[in-house]
Amino acid sequence: MAMPANETAVFFNSSDYQAGFRGATINLVFTGPGIFTARLTTVSLPHLRLYSVQESLPRIAYVALAPDSVNFAFPAPPNTSLVWGALKMKPRDLMFHSLGERMHQCTGGASGWSIISVDRKFFAGSTRALIGSEISPPRVARVIRPLQTDAVELHRLHAKACRLAETHPRTVGHREVARAIEHDIIYTLVKCLTAGVEHEDTARRLHCAIIMNRLEDELATKHERKILIPELCEVIGVAERTLRNYCLDVLGIGPKQYFRLRRLNLLRVALQRADPETAKVSEIADRYGFSEFGRLAGFYRTIFGETPSATLRRPEHKIRKNIQYAETS
Amino acid sequence: MASFVRSVHSTFADPELYQASINPAHVEIFITAKGDFRASLTRIELPRLWVQYGREILPRIANSIASAERPPIFFLAGSEQVSISHNGRDLAYGEVVIAGSGSMRHHRSEGPCQWASLSLTRDDLAASGRALVGSDLIDRSTTHYLRPTPSVMSRLLSLQQAADQLAQSAANTLAQPEPARALEQAFVHAIVTCLSESVPIKLGRGAVGHSAIIARFEELLAVNYDQPLHLAEICAAIGASERTLRTICIENLGMGPIRYLWLRRMHLARRALIQAAPQTATVTEIATANGFWELGRFAVEYRALFGEAPSASLHRSTQEVRASKNGPFAFAASEFA
Repeated sequence: MAMPANETAVFFNSSDYQAGFRGATINLVFTGPGIFTARLTTVSLPHLRLYSVQESLPRIAYVALAPDSVNFAFPAPPNTSLVWGALKMKPRDLMFHSLGERMHQCTGGASGWSIISVDRKFFAGSTRALIGSEISPPRVARVIRPLQTDAVELHRLHAKACRLAETHPRTVGHREVARAIEHDIIYTLVKCLTAGVEHEDTARRLHCAIIMNRLEDELATKHERKILIPELCEVIGVAERTLRNYCLDVLGIGPKQYFRLRRLNLLRVALQRADPETAKVSEIADRYGFSEFGRLAGFYRTIFGETPSATLRRPEHKIRKNIQYAETS
Repeated sequence: MASFVRSVHSTFADPELYQASINPAHVEIFITAKGDFRASLTRIELPRLWVQYGREILPRIANSIASAERPPIFFLAGSEQVSISHNGRDLAYGEVVIAGSGSMRHHRSEGPCQWASLSLTRDDLAASGRALVGSDLIDRSTTHYLRPTPSVMSRLLSLQQAADQLAQSAANTLAQPEPARALEQAFVHAIVTCLSESVPIKLGRGAVGHSAIIARFEELLAVNYDQPLHLAEICAAIGASERTLRTICIENLGMGPIRYLWLRRMHLARRALIQAAPQTATVTEIATANGFWELGRFAVEYRALFGEAPSASLHRSTQEVRASKNGPFAFAASEFA
């Protein structure tokens, strides 16, 4: 078994950040202005992985979880307006994910969230040992509302373990410490799962999850082009009205706005990476399907708080340098 | 001339040393309430019979594995003594436990406790039984509970008191072969009468059903006596769910398994702290080796339970603790009342 890596990393762009999750992927579409930073603490134990995340910007994330582990997630401060897969998460809620789940996760500002990722076999064995029968992951994410004391204890243990990984990474690597953390967390987790009340509406939510995943699969193949909604609905196999309702539930916006938002995010990344000496905003914008420059500038400014040309003139590496300087000084 | 009889009367401020002095059994004592620990132990080793008399002031759980060679006969000794829990069942003053060879027992006291144990080797007991009443007495492989007649019980108790007084104030008398032999004969006679005439106490069915699980639990703890253990591992190893184990633990130990395992780890850490060399060991190392990873919390809880900081235990050397072992009787008898 590999030595556990316990570390904290700070990221300044979403692609580096995405690589920080082992086995899981996360795609970000920003919905508000500002400079992106993310702080990710990882605690790697033999059968358990803990993540603690802090992000600076509002965004819609599309998350794909590792299929070889059972995943739980819960909000952490600042936990303002978190909507995960159309479910509004209250501060003490616990999300029990399906295996390898892919879902959207929306935040309305700076956010924090935590993941507990448990090895499948270890989870099955532990639940069998503790309650006499296995707890299986649901087909689609469900929200568990544990007893307050259990939720508080779970959050406390998670936060403590993450802090220990930040301050004393070698201690977390100690065999008995790793064993104790794993058992403390799994015991509390099982208590949360057995005492908690579930909130779900499975049939509709399962359909919604399937459609939203098909939507993302489609978008992944044609991200640079403009998308015609009727055509897309036919490929996915859903009525326009249904797609619109699902998008409003899950993303908080209609499909048309979402597609535009995605393209604006792609454009922003392209502008950040382009050479300001040679590149032209209008040419790059055209590649992402924005032919009317005036309208684009308006949309762009509303979301990112600056003009496209301002983004172009301030390349990514400069942002990074400034922040690093600010962090160390 | 070498002494014919060994008799020792000692006082203890440290549960570790107290438990190490109890013979012939492997005993583990977990104090369950905070306070200064005080105990005294009188040990008399006659040629065949060993007598022990213990007095403690703090509530505790004692797990003991009876010697296979000398399974003890155990009873409560102070007339004011309230019942203790013995393997999940109330053991009252006036009752006697005959421990099965190598059996494990949980005694839980809720306050001050005075107890006595008598032990003969299996062969000596069998021979005495055949000589005095013409039978092998009792099956020693399992644990029995007896309720002797008042006269038999008071005989046992008065002999035990006399022996204790001799050991404390007239050790010279005990060292003479004749008085020692007379005392031993009187004891053996009382034991044989007790075993052959007393009414066994029947155990309920629940106790029998749970005893299989608690036996596996005990075995697991005994095998791993110096290792931290966690609940899910125990549940998996003994095949009982947390809920079942909780019921059984509360019955036998007076607390749930989580609390009990925590208490056990606290005592393991304490033992390690006292035994470690303060020049080379650190509190952090010892705490983490016992699965305590929230170090601030550990220090607070340690102090609450043992009345001193972990670092104080580390710097208190084993020698220093040992020095008090055979010292003068430092605590007034009233402390044990």
